[in-house]
Amino acid sequence: MYNIKARGVLIEGNKRYHDITRDVTNPLLSKTTPTWWWIAAFISSAMLVWGIWGFYNTIVVGTGTWGLNNSVSWGWAIINFVWWIGIGHAGTAFSIFLLVLHQKWRTSINRAAEAMTIFAVMAAGMFPLIHMGRIWDGFFVFPYPNTRGPLWDNFNSPLFWDVMAISTYLTASFLFWYVGMMPDFASIRERTVSKIKKRIYGILSFGWLGSARGWLRFESAALLMGGLTAPLVVSVHSIVAMDFAAGVVPGWHSTIFPPFFVVGAIFSGFAMVLTMMIIVRKVYKYEEYVTQRHLDAIARVLTFVSLIMGVAYISEIFVAWYSDSPYEMFVFFKNRAVGEYSFEFWAMIIFNAIVPQLFWFKKIRKNITIVFIISILINIGMWYERFVIVITSLSKTWLPSTWHGYSPTITEIAIYVGTIGFFVFGILLFLRFLPMMASSELKGILKETSIVTENTENHE
Amino acid sequence: MNNQNQILGVFDDPDEVTAAVKELLRNDVQVQDVFSPFPIEHVWELLKLKTRIPYATFLYGVIGTAGTFGFLYWTSVINYPLIFGGKPTNSLSFIVIMFVLTILSGVIFTLATYLIREKMWPGKKASMPDTRSMDDKFVIVIDKHKNMDDDAILKINELLKKNGAVEVNMNNV
Repeated sequence: MYNIKARGVLIEGNKRYHDITRDVTNPLLSKTTPTWWWIAAFISSAMLVWGIWGFYNTIVVGTGTWGLNNSVSWGWAIINFVWWIGIGHAGTAFSIFLLVLHQKWRTSINRAAEAMTIFAVMAAGMFPLIHMGRIWDGFFVFPYPNTRGPLWDNFNSPLFWDVMAISTYLTASFLFWYVGMMPDFASIRERTVSKIKKRIYGILSFGWLGSARGWLRFESAALLMGGLTAPLVVSVHSIVAMDFAAGVVPGWHSTIFPPFFVVGAIFSGFAMVLTMMIIVRKVYKYEEYVTQRHLDAIARVLTFVSLIMGVAYISEIFVAWYSDSPYEMFVFFKNRAVGEYSFEFWAMIIFNAIVPQLFWFKKIRKNITIVFIISILINIGMWYERFVIVITSLSKTWLPSTWHGYSPTITEIAIYVGTIGFFVFGILLFLRFLPMMASSELKGILKETSIVTENTENHE
Repeated sequence: MNNQNQILGVFDDPDEVTAAVKELLRNDVQVQDVFSPFPIEHVWELLKLKTRIPYATFLYGVIGTAGTFGFLYWTSVINYPLIFGGKPTNSLSFIVIMFVLTILSGVIFTLATYLIREKMWPGKKASMPDTRSMDDKFVIVIDKHKNMDDDAILKINELLKKNGAVEVNMNNV
């Protein structure tokens, strides 16, 4: 049972049920779109347009427009792919792990985190698609009866597993997200005075009623869908890790990779949730829903996950030394630590393993500006981690005669910036047109966690 | 559902609704349904509502696992056995795809079952006894039988009021 006296109220401002409905639906029902929204939408769509140029350039000319070469055959595209997939783990990790664990503070954040998942995974999915070079032959990855034998996919390849895992993850996350929104669509349907909105949200709500039997089935179905999707969080990034670990490249061929990647994904996902929620609570004045306590909880999770990251980095280095393999030792002690990409390596260590440890101090957790900066640094650090893994290992492998450097071209940069634009623009559309908090879940926890009465002690 | 006359007890508080349902059932009043802005688990227990969706989900999972294995076995062992790296064609690593597709079939068919059982589809017209139950009210719906006399209705009214109903309305849809 939630103990208000010990843990404080979860939703501040002494809200009642109606206040929650009003606060959640008002941004959607308002006729005016705030100025900051237009500015952000303009900037992000400009970024997206530049990305589309890069996309077009890649498809028309080929992957020769990228800075890849025979040694470094995976460049920014794979770095960004893994980075986005990592961010895409936040929603499900947040919403489903915390749902299964009955963590009540998830309720004001889960919807937005799930939306983040959807757009981040879509952004991630673009990279393998264009990395194929001939995107029009993309359907070759699916096992379908063909005239080549029929020759089927290699079902033992992590690259094929990736296709299945990511498309399943996107589908399952999307369905879970949508089902969760149906009660909110219904409450918008009943609240709006605009005929068009009533019609649109009516269609979206699937005729949701909120009867006792309806809720029972809803809760049962949502919990099952969530429970089934939860293992995907582990499997998707394990499989991404196996893309690397199955390759006999020094620095990749390691059994630590799957858990290391999963933890890294949850780390970057939570950091991105923190970044986004700090902005959203500010611009939508949701400080009473996403309280200091919520941010504090995320910061604590980050502190812990950062420790795991640190241990993973140390054990990689230890195993390289302990293996006594000159190639492994070269990767970690020469190539990464003091080589030409040592800046990225040390940035990764400092941003991921050291800086988040500042969250041990309550003063720092309470200072939103510093929390925001640290969350951004983690996002950058996690990008560097993927850079270090992909580039340092590939640029100097077994044969010194094949060693080659790598730097991205303008096309690669454009595509990356474009996916950021896509992500931000998607989130903006979500904030404007969809309910960004699960009002039924907030109402469900309100009485237990937030209404202080004379007999509050009875809740203990 | 709403083509009969109904008595609607409107409440402000979830715990009062639970208490009222308990009290109504004790007085042999049939509670048809309870509409609420969020799930109230105690009401399900009182109304003896059960769902078999978890069993269905288990079945979908089993079908997903077996179907995926069947497909992989047929393609890799029977239809076009191709040796990769000296490994057996019937490989242990099928598990990865079986795992993922089990989840996919579980999620998709659970959702489909839910929507079919609830008879929900995009654009379905929702006829609610009291639309405020989407916002902050909890509504107990009681069927008004033809053979219910005024005394019985009055008794239900009193029961609802006594247990904290802020309004008691009649629904003649």
